Amino acid sequence: MAPFGVDLDYVAVAALFCIGLYMLVAKSNLLKKLLGLNVMETSVFAFIVTSGMVEGGDPPLLVAGAQPPFASPIPQAMVLTGIVVVVSVTAVALSLIVQIYAHYGTLEVDELKERP
Amino acid sequence: MSVAWEQLLPWAVALPFVGAALTPVLAARSPRWTGPWAWGVVLATVAVTVGLVAHVAEAGAFTYAIGGWSGAYGIELRFDRFAAWVLPLSLLFAVIVPFSWRYVVVSLEPARWGAFYALLLLVMGGMIGFSITGDLFNLFVFMEVTSLSSYALVAVGGRGVAAWAALKYLFLGAVASLLALLGTALLFVLTGSLNLADVAARLGPDVARGPVLIAFAALVTSFLVKAAVFPLHVWLPDAHAIAPSPVSAVLSGLVVKTGIVGLVRVVQLFHAADAVPLAGFHLALAWLGAVSIVMGAFLAIFQDDLKLMLAYSTISNVGYIVLGFGLAAPYAAVGASVHVVNHALIKTTLFLAAGALIHQTGFRTLSDLRGVARAMPQTAAVMAIGAVSIVGLPPTAGFLCKWYIALGAFEADRAPFGFALVFGALFIFVYYIRMVNALYFQAPVHARVAEATEVPWSMRAPLLLLAASCLVLGLLGGAPLAFVEPAVAGVLPVGGP
Amino acid sequence: MGVVDPRPLLAPLISFACAGLVFAAGRNAFWRRFWSLSAAAVKLALVLSMLPGTLRGVVYTFDVVAFTPGIGIAFRADAYGMFFALVSSTLWTLTTIYAIGYMRGEPDRSRFFGFFALCVSTTVGVAFAENLLTFFLFYETLTICTYPLVVHAETPEALRAGRVYLTYTLIGGGFVLLGSVMAFDAAGTLTLAQPGILPADAGGATLATIFAALIVGFGVKAAIMPLHGWLPLAMVAPTPVSALLHAVAVVKVGAFGVTRVIYNVFGVELLQDLGFATPLAWLAAFTILAGSAIALTQDHLKRRLAYSTISQLSYIVLGAALLTPFAATAAILHVAHQAFAKITMFFVVGAIQRTTGKTRVSELAGIGARMPWSMAAFTIAALSFVGVPLFAGFVTKWYLSLGALQAGAGVFVGVMLVSSLLNAAYWFPIVHLAYFRRADGGDEGVHEAPPLLLVPILICAAYVLLLGLTTQVPGMPFSVAQVAVERAFAVPAVVP
Repeated sequence: MAPFGVDLDYVAVAALFCIGLYMLVAKSNLLKKLLGLNVMETSVFAFIVTSGMVEGGDPPLLVAGAQPPFASPIPQAMVLTGIVVVVSVTAVALSLIVQIYAHYGTLEVDELKERP
Repeated sequence: MSVAWEQLLPWAVALPFVGAALTPVLAARSPRWTGPWAWGVVLATVAVTVGLVAHVAEAGAFTYAIGGWSGAYGIELRFDRFAAWVLPLSLLFAVIVPFSWRYVVVSLEPARWGAFYALLLLVMGGMIGFSITGDLFNLFVFMEVTSLSSYALVAVGGRGVAAWAALKYLFLGAVASLLALLGTALLFVLTGSLNLADVAARLGPDVARGPVLIAFAALVTSFLVKAAVFPLHVWLPDAHAIAPSPVSAVLSGLVVKTGIVGLVRVVQLFHAADAVPLAGFHLALAWLGAVSIVMGAFLAIFQDDLKLMLAYSTISNVGYIVLGFGLAAPYAAVGASVHVVNHALIKTTLFLAAGALIHQTGFRTLSDLRGVARAMPQTAAVMAIGAVSIVGLPPTAGFLCKWYIALGAFEADRAPFGFALVFGALFIFVYYIRMVNALYFQAPVHARVAEATEVPWSMRAPLLLLAASCLVLGLLGGAPLAFVEPAVAGVLPVGGP
Repeated sequence: MGVVDPRPLLAPLISFACAGLVFAAGRNAFWRRFWSLSAAAVKLALVLSMLPGTLRGVVYTFDVVAFTPGIGIAFRADAYGMFFALVSSTLWTLTTIYAIGYMRGEPDRSRFFGFFALCVSTTVGVAFAENLLTFFLFYETLTICTYPLVVHAETPEALRAGRVYLTYTLIGGGFVLLGSVMAFDAAGTLTLAQPGILPADAGGATLATIFAALIVGFGVKAAIMPLHGWLPLAMVAPTPVSALLHAVAVVKVGAFGVTRVIYNVFGVELLQDLGFATPLAWLAAFTILAGSAIALTQDHLKRRLAYSTISQLSYIVLGAALLTPFAATAAILHVAHQAFAKITMFFVVGAIQRTTGKTRVSELAGIGARMPWSMAAFTIAALSFVGVPLFAGFVTKWYLSLGALQAGAGVFVGVMLVSSLLNAAYWFPIVHLAYFRRADGGDEGVHEAPPLLLVPILICAAYVLLLGLTTQVPGMPFSVAQVAVERAFAVPAVVP
């Protein structure tokens, strides 16, 4: 599955990353920016998880009858930790956005820049 | 005997984290005691780091494998001479925490006291962990702990303005962190390991060129954003200026240094990878540093807001450090390594003194603070000593590092950087002299400034202590330089520039 | 002959401690005076106690810290350093007495006296610096400590002068740093204990850059034209500051630096080979003449003094740049000669300003009758500057001319002569006005300066006379200068 010599999953990851980046940079609404950030983060997680795939590998669980090759367990551990981090970032960001809205009454960056 | 020392290593991280976790519990019962509690935790951490530094000075770098899983399989903590900066780091926290007591009582409602100190402890634990981890992914996690707590700390005191500054900081910080994660993942895919030493060993001349370049670029960009090197500094001024002063000190003096430490740690990984043009990279780094010095100073000249000025000056000083590492010469690297610590000390001094002025007078711009030195001579003197130090005039802490970095420029046969450095320092002096003039030699415009009283002792003692350290480190500046010298060989690319 | 002795370190430390005590004394006038005076006395005694050893050829050294081999803070009291330290600590004592009288009733006196002491501390630190790094350390500290004194009045004019002063001196400091770094890169050491450290094979361009950087850096404070712009402006400072700092400490530190660069960083032999000193000598000659010419046009007394200082300082630079033993003797001696004569003049000008409020040359008609003692002192200083035999200035000019001939550059003898004429042309009118014109109305009676101002004036004037008369008395500055020159050239300074 490698058209043009590049795995399709990497293409998807790159596309997601760019979509997220675009949202973060181009959108004026703070919530949409945050969503863009989340999309970017998801793309990186997807990349990590797919990198752990081993052709025909079993889950890396030492149960009776388990046979090598195993899929690499470390990327999954990384992603789990990563998700925790990202959820925290999102939570902090959302709470900040709530405060901003309470104070300024708007979430549009263009309008925020004009307020003192 | 030596086993006991290594057992100490996880405590340097665990103490602040456990302390942070317990702070809200304590806050629920008696918020008044959260400050002293945090201080106690910091002091305990200082004690641990003193032991670690003493051990590394005696026996060299040592490692601790968490849970007994060593090398490529488990998570390893590693303490080397470069990581020894966690000692000055925790010492600075030991000064900042008592300084913040008064601030917290005046500016925050009791319900938030616990959160404030918990976050401070998390920042400290995160940075210590970041500095002593031997694991690439762990590096990312600790960086995130530090960054997240920093975002929250920026917003802790203020309302909408602070939240908006914090959110800007968060967006850029999160993207930077994401790049670091991406780079980490790529390196894992390339090498199958996350252990720093292991990765460095496996990144040989034969790794795939494209991915290793992307990984390198992603990691380096990430840390340059965290270090606020021009032009990646845009998040810094607002966040550092709007945060409460004790927090500004932590952010400007210490948190930006995670970017530097990360940069040093990560660039080392690629020394053997031929695909990465390290010589060109170092030259680019030196240029970035030089541009940061000049642009930081240039932008600071136009600031009337005291803290905003200090924030821009951080960009200049990070420029010095980056320039020092970019020169890839032993002298310059030693100077840059020690400037990491010295700048932390000086910037903490300046931000705390600025905080004291703002706290007592209620004004924060230079034009409003005119003549405050008559009313608050001691705080103003601390400010002046800080200003002289940050410009790098002898005999203060800032001088020797700049001397070493300049020496490195000539050693590396890059004389123009030496010129840039020396005259960049003069440029920096332009706005600090404006500050000193305003504080000392101009008549007060506000009655409140003329009638202000000195800060209470809980704030004054830390200030005087810091100012004294600025002077002492200037005169005894050789000790840290000599201490870090054996470590820089590993930082420099093999075979020189 | 090196002897480890803490006294070279203690000498700057005393003034430093004094500054701390003065700041601590705050508004308490008694303790402020007590600490200032006793520190000055102790320091003078300390420096004097090293004098016999110096005359025997002993060099006192003291290493404080070494950062890495070759880079550190160290002190060394060689003959030349002793000479400079002796001049500045003697004059500090006198200026302190004067300043106590002069500053009566001024605001912020503890700041004034504190930074005053710091300045002297750093001056002596410069004198005893064993290496260029220590030198630079004190050189820059001096810049910082002088700033509050220059802007003491806190008027917009003073602040502007302060800004100009800092701009000049800090850029100069930058050049010194640059030169020092490059010198260390080329030589691997920064010591000032040897007759030259730079290797001849370091490359012509490198050596030229180092020379240019160091000379420009020190030349700012030595007010070599065209780097002199700050000095006339800095005259807005209170008179004791102008006197001590802009006749002795700050400007002499610059001149001292130039001579150190010539004798101890490059060394006479290397410079003779390279030929860098010749353009410097011409620049100095130009400054001597141009400074005098501008002084001629100044009506404001302190500004006239300032331009005269600019001119006189270049005697030192010229003497050093000629690279001959006689010229070196002149250069070193002139550090003292110019200092005592110029400080006398400043003291008198300050006394006139305090007692009569007059600040301009044209207002001085008849002042000789009102303030006979002060004007007598002024006249002695003026005669010394003109170079009348038996006065200190003559000794300088005599040796400088001999040195010029020794160097085969007779044209500089001509410069000496023209300079003497110019000096006469701008000092004698003042003397003439003071004694031979009557004031237009007003009271005619004697109205001398208060004793606290007058006593230092008379002591300085007496010393100017002594300096001219006692060239053969051991222990006087001349003998110290001889020892210093013998060190630099390894030949007797005066051919018997």
